Amino acid sequence: MSDKLYTPPVLQIISENTSKRGNPLGLVSKDCTAWSKGLQIPNKGKTILYTGCEYQMTSQIQSLLEILKKAKFGDAALSTLKGLQLLAGRLGVDLMKTYTRVVGEDSKSYNRILRKAALTLRRLGVDFSYLDGELYSGALLYEYGLFEQFRKQAERVVSQLKEAGVSKIIALTPHSAEIFQQVYPQFIDNFDFEVSPYVCTVAEALRKSGKELSLPKPLILTLHDPCHLARSLKVTEEPREVLQTIEHLELREVVSNRESTICCGAPCEIIYPELSEIVASKRVEELSATGAEAAVTLCPFCHSNLSKAVNLFGKALTIIDFIEIVYQAWGEEDVEA
Amino acid sequence: MLKPKLIFEKYYSELLHSIHDRDVSLGLSRSISTNRQNRALVMQRFPDTAELANEVKRIREESIDHLDELIQVAQARLQENGARVYYSDSANNALRIIGEIIGSGKVVVSGKTLVGEEVGLRKHLEGLGNEFWETDVAQFIQQLREEKPMHYVFPALHVTREEVAKLLTNLLGREIPSDILVEVRTIREFLRDKYFKADIGISGCNVLAADTGSIVLIENEGNIRMSTNVPPVHIALVGIEKIVPTLQDAFKVAQVTWRYAGFTIPLYLSIVSGPSGTADIENTLIQGSSGPVELHVIFLDNGRRVLAKDPILREALYCIKCGTCLFECPIFQMAAGYFGGHAYFGGVGSILTAYMGGGLKEAAPIAYTCLRCGLCTEVCPLSIDTSKLIAELRHRIVDTARS
Repeated sequence: MSDKLYTPPVLQIISENTSKRGNPLGLVSKDCTAWSKGLQIPNKGKTILYTGCEYQMTSQIQSLLEILKKAKFGDAALSTLKGLQLLAGRLGVDLMKTYTRVVGEDSKSYNRILRKAALTLRRLGVDFSYLDGELYSGALLYEYGLFEQFRKQAERVVSQLKEAGVSKIIALTPHSAEIFQQVYPQFIDNFDFEVSPYVCTVAEALRKSGKELSLPKPLILTLHDPCHLARSLKVTEEPREVLQTIEHLELREVVSNRESTICCGAPCEIIYPELSEIVASKRVEELSATGAEAAVTLCPFCHSNLSKAVNLFGKALTIIDFIEIVYQAWGEEDVEA
Repeated sequence: MLKPKLIFEKYYSELLHSIHDRDVSLGLSRSISTNRQNRALVMQRFPDTAELANEVKRIREESIDHLDELIQVAQARLQENGARVYYSDSANNALRIIGEIIGSGKVVVSGKTLVGEEVGLRKHLEGLGNEFWETDVAQFIQQLREEKPMHYVFPALHVTREEVAKLLTNLLGREIPSDILVEVRTIREFLRDKYFKADIGISGCNVLAADTGSIVLIENEGNIRMSTNVPPVHIALVGIEKIVPTLQDAFKVAQVTWRYAGFTIPLYLSIVSGPSGTADIENTLIQGSSGPVELHVIFLDNGRRVLAKDPILREALYCIKCGTCLFECPIFQMAAGYFGGHAYFGGVGSILTAYMGGGLKEAAPIAYTCLRCGLCTEVCPLSIDTSKLIAELRHRIVDTARS
């Protein structure tokens, strides 16, 4: 049985990329850290902001998807990087062009979100650094069962953290917060870093600062709780606490909220793309039914998958990252260096 | 046997097909909202249910810890009670044993049994030349449609009354209107005749008490009572993970099962501990009175003992098949039983499928469908950590594929 067992082709791509470039989607270090240019964030310190390259990866996933969706499911050529390139050629997709186009368009907007995340911490007086050459947590490797590679990646991450003298991690995304808090301890002995999900750090600092936030004009929002944040990490009240202090912001709860939230469909996006879109469209329908103009989320994968569904199914709903709302409510400034 | 890659492709195309099937989505949306309302009512009326579920979690953990011991006790007690007991390590072995008991040319009626689905019982017995009838209304419909069940508690949730009318019209050769009352009455008449003609009655088992050798059966239709009481021979199929230490434990497990399935109380609850008997004449015990003369209990391992010894995946065996998780799963809500293997569904079902006969080949496409969103864990009476189990199963799949 063993020699015949079949796994989704994308696993091989993820595996090869991780071996060759240290990132499941082949992102190189400068792709991941480009956003921080000019912000003069210290690259050593006890507390770090950890992005996990996840915002940066979402654009890459979209370019991979264009190929996956055109290929016949389970096309043998998909199972290696080289095969992927050949297949792209056969399908008339210029891999490099697709890549640069998608990444070019998206990375700008995702880089802006990342800059806003860092600037908000700075505005709140949170002391933090950002590791130059930050490594990917390996969350996707764990997710898809590539445990051996995950373990190696986790070991590399931990030695990077230790070398930099880190003791506290502000995890920007739910996936990285979860993987550090709940999975690393199963794979790494004595993993004793303090982990705080970004939204918790922001909520706490905001509470202390007494700063009043306000949007320039009234906005009706609903909140899409990311599964891993609400259920795994049990963080449901902090995002609400922050959003509710913002003047001119009306929060309308969607039917399935907090620990009953419904998945955005992203987890099966590169395995079963059509299924992922259908799951996303159901969630978008539910979010739209609140009558809100926009849905806030706190996870780059939720953001990307829900936005895609909004476009595909023509809904009048904008998907906004929590980071952007908070930044805007503080007072918009140019985030470019 | 299909090649693994084709299994993947076939699975995914059927999954997408069922999502676009209007009958499936209509049936699902009705069942989901009814189940939610029913569950809310049950929890309101019996506020101790969550606490009871915690206790059941402990009972299930302990039972899996002491599985080998419990099997011994349960077998001994059932034998004392006059039952004939068999242990079968595989599905094929179970089919062989049952085939030998039944032979051919018999009429067989069966109550709902997931183990029966797991081993492919109906097809096997029909293949031996027996007339086989599912007696649960949903399974009867499913038998006529020659397809797999869609849910543990509501296997035909996607079939409309119009479709049932067509099936019955075909079966009986006379026009049956698409009126639910008429349909149920028609099935009733048809099956009542079969119960009295039947040589063999088959049942599954919701939970089994080791200390008394008692099989607990939960139902509303009365079909299980008829199947296990009227024919002269009763064969019970028991997955060994169903055994708990005491009758009190068994009652608690049963209670949590029906409550989470959305019932305040099932209309019938049967406890079968042996074949019928009487000692009314000169205090001499005679086996076989008004009820069955023989009770055959087939304990099925089929991968369960391996799973029970697995430090991580064993948690999948705690599942009591109430089906609550399925109604809340975003994928199941669209695809029903197509998100699953031949007998077991959803995320936890992929682990059961892998270990109970389907192998990693059948389980892989299901395991990679699960979103690991954790909503099932939230509603599960035993808080089974599906996300963790799925990551682990995928790890086994990857490891096996590469070795």
